[in-house]
Amino acid sequence: MKKIALLSSLLFAAAVASTAQAAVAKDTLVVQWANDVPTLDPAATYDTASGSIVENLYETLVTYKGASIRELEPLLATKWAISNGGKTYTFDLRKNVKFHSGNTMTCADAEYTFERNLVTNAAESGNWFFAESLLGTGANAGDDKSITWARIDRAVECNRAGQLVFTLPKVDPAFLSKMAYAGQSVVDRQHAIKVGEWKGTEADWKNWIGKDLQGSNLNKQPSGTGAYRLVRRDANAILAQAFDGYWGKKPAIKNVIVQKVPELAARQQAFLRGDADLIETGGRANIEEQLKGKPGVVVVDNLPNTVASAFFMNQNIKDPSRLGSGKLDGRGIPANFFSDVNVRRAFANSFNYAQYIRDVQNGKGKQRTMLLPDSFPGYDAKVKTYKYDPKQAEAYFKRAWGGNVWKNGFTLNASYRAGNVASQTAMEILKKNVEALNPKFRVNIQPKEWSAMLNDSKAGKEPMIIIGWAPDYADPDNFMYTFYSSNGYYYPRANWKDAQVDKWLEQARNTTNAATRNRLYSLVGQRAYEQSPFILIPAGIGVIAHRDNLVGVSARAYNPMTSFSDTGTFWKDLSKK
Amino acid sequence: MLNFIVRRLIQIPLVMLALSVLIVALTMLLTPAQRAAGYIRSDQQAAQLERIIRDRGLDQPFPVQYGKWLQSTLQGDLGFSKSSGQPVLDTIIERLPNTIELTLVTAIPIILIGVWLGTLSALNKDRFIDQVLRVFAVLGYSLPTFVLGIVLLAVLYGYLGWLPGAGQLEVVNQFAVGDIRRYTGMLGLDALLNGRFDIALDVLRHMIMPALTLIIVSGATILKVMRNNMLEALTSDYVRTARAKGLPERTVNLKHARRNALLSIITLGGFLIIGLLSGSIITETIFAYPGIGQWVAQSALQLDVPSVLGFALLSAIIVVVVSTLTDILYGVVDPRVRFD
Repeated sequence: MKKIALLSSLLFAAAVASTAQAAVAKDTLVVQWANDVPTLDPAATYDTASGSIVENLYETLVTYKGASIRELEPLLATKWAISNGGKTYTFDLRKNVKFHSGNTMTCADAEYTFERNLVTNAAESGNWFFAESLLGTGANAGDDKSITWARIDRAVECNRAGQLVFTLPKVDPAFLSKMAYAGQSVVDRQHAIKVGEWKGTEADWKNWIGKDLQGSNLNKQPSGTGAYRLVRRDANAILAQAFDGYWGKKPAIKNVIVQKVPELAARQQAFLRGDADLIETGGRANIEEQLKGKPGVVVVDNLPNTVASAFFMNQNIKDPSRLGSGKLDGRGIPANFFSDVNVRRAFANSFNYAQYIRDVQNGKGKQRTMLLPDSFPGYDAKVKTYKYDPKQAEAYFKRAWGGNVWKNGFTLNASYRAGNVASQTAMEILKKNVEALNPKFRVNIQPKEWSAMLNDSKAGKEPMIIIGWAPDYADPDNFMYTFYSSNGYYYPRANWKDAQVDKWLEQARNTTNAATRNRLYSLVGQRAYEQSPFILIPAGIGVIAHRDNLVGVSARAYNPMTSFSDTGTFWKDLSKK
Repeated sequence: MLNFIVRRLIQIPLVMLALSVLIVALTMLLTPAQRAAGYIRSDQQAAQLERIIRDRGLDQPFPVQYGKWLQSTLQGDLGFSKSSGQPVLDTIIERLPNTIELTLVTAIPIILIGVWLGTLSALNKDRFIDQVLRVFAVLGYSLPTFVLGIVLLAVLYGYLGWLPGAGQLEVVNQFAVGDIRRYTGMLGLDALLNGRFDIALDVLRHMIMPALTLIIVSGATILKVMRNNMLEALTSDYVRTARAKGLPERTVNLKHARRNALLSIITLGGFLIIGLLSGSIITETIFAYPGIGQWVAQSALQLDVPSVLGFALLSAIIVVVVSTLTDILYGVVDPRVRFD
């Protein structure tokens, strides 16, 4: 026994003694994330982790110009023309572009890619908004029988000149920005068919309708035109290498390794020791408390944030069990409690925006005027905002429901996503301030499991929730229509309908004139201020940290639509000193 | 003995079938929406909740869902793991050998060191060495694995830099490992078989901290149980008889007392191995060790039902097989068991 113990000790000592820490080489980028990467198939990419890899292995027709989210520039396309009153987009494709498999990219690859996205349009993918542009509906052929092969085939075609032509049923000013989304990257048709994907013909298209491609063969063996090609993928790492046949400038960083390290403490140690160049940092509080000022660490602050969040005040609550007594008797609320604008304004004046920015966002937050990121086109900074004003709130509550709200009080049940500290704090701030106005006011807040909250709020059952939206593409429609239109995705959660707003939003959807669109969105913002259908939660200010030998990361280069929480750049734009 | 073994082996498929009904029934306690939420990663995707429920048949009755699951499972298809981005079976095949390798490196030291120190402690009852070992045992089994792991990581990697951090390999070897021909799936062992001693040593170095964490926590339990068993055995009649017969003290202690004290360690060791093979969830998560435990933690958090089902099935197999082996071993050590 003693011999075994001695042998174990010797082995341990030998292993320790052999430790010669290999610092990350200059030609290698090491990134550590907490989560997994669900897919490397562009057609199934609809999450930030997958998108951050896919955008480096594949390429889209167009991309954002530098840090701008308002300007697009060619990538796999060299130029494009819009004709037929804004309904036809014709792309000239770049020549001599090679896929990682060695195949040369042709128009047939692009046609195959977009038809594949329309044919599959799986529930888990983001192709619904692409289908909306080209087929007029977000549904796939399984859910909408009017979608035929002929319609899909007509929507995307190669002409005799080898140009890619999209034919839209109606004008969609967001179409180009949708094309910059990583999910619309061009895939290698020959390779995809060879590994067992859809053959690209009418013969078997029906077998692929709605098919979830997250685990597809293309996910296992990707072949894109990107500056990096996949070398290997295992349980905890994705390895990529600069692609020798890349058409563009040769990247400075040869190897990229993305490791999955679920534990923040482990990622942080690796980052501080220089074994990782970039990590998922755990947010501002952690960066400021644990990383800022440490040797070798650079913090880039004041970055744009493209998420918009709000309290939803449901004007048609469809679950009697959430209403208490269901009357204005102090023990509940009527189902249409929030239909009185005075109630909504009173709540909006009860939220302490400055306190939220101070307590939750460490002072790094900003009140927005509308539910649209301030870096997006269409944002109007001049629209008024609500301030925490207890006197004003009291005045509105006294006016609400003919004075009965103030006289009888109410009990409101509000929910937030369990585990979301920011939402919980926001709810607690609102509760405290509302209850302080009148002892007959009661706000019961409760955490809810995400799935339950998604389901119940969509069914209009939740009186009040907090929920946010992150952009699929950098067009104001993606936010404004979602939040404010009665045909928008979030409508069932708030049940706020304003005919004029609906009209403005439809007009904005049907014109490509930027000035007109900006004016319309400004009008929607002003109207929303007056009607206060949501309480706008201040937006946090973005911050990232990286090792000081990494070059190419800066606020000037940071594009919030690229690489999400990392550097806001593609890997190919980075180097190390 | 042969009958005993055959009887236990016949029970395995029956137990497995019963377990599978139970496991699938348990997942049915979640609503279709809850299970569908496992496929959703963003608020936007929630728009597709009903489609996901319908496409996956999550709203169908239990017999239908169980029947489909059983049919595909018997065909070797355990479904697709959203949390690992590949089929559940592929995930198990990829990760299980890593966990087995960690178990091999860990279980033997845990049992040997625990038994050795437990014996030492009992034979030196109330002396200084006993006091030290008892303090170690209390610390070991009362210290949360999570805390111990983080402390080891912060000190041995972060502060001293003696050991590598999380993961299984240094970056430089991550690219080289693609050339290793896989025989067993256990990276360290396969590297040895390929003659890549540098990679084998790298794997070993990365296993030290997770192994140390497990050895300290589980070894302390074995130590404590072994000490108590030894103390009981040392005061029993047969030990007194052995001493009275004039046998040397060493023979009495190690051949007579320890052999009997070891009986419950076999059972405990069985549970320990089951725990390690089923995935040391916290340890693997802290050290980003690509085993079964890290995966199941992730899949449970994401309500990834096919993964949870696949893992539960794997765990059931491990429990049944290891329990059977433990019983057989118990029968070998103690003949009375064979005739029960």
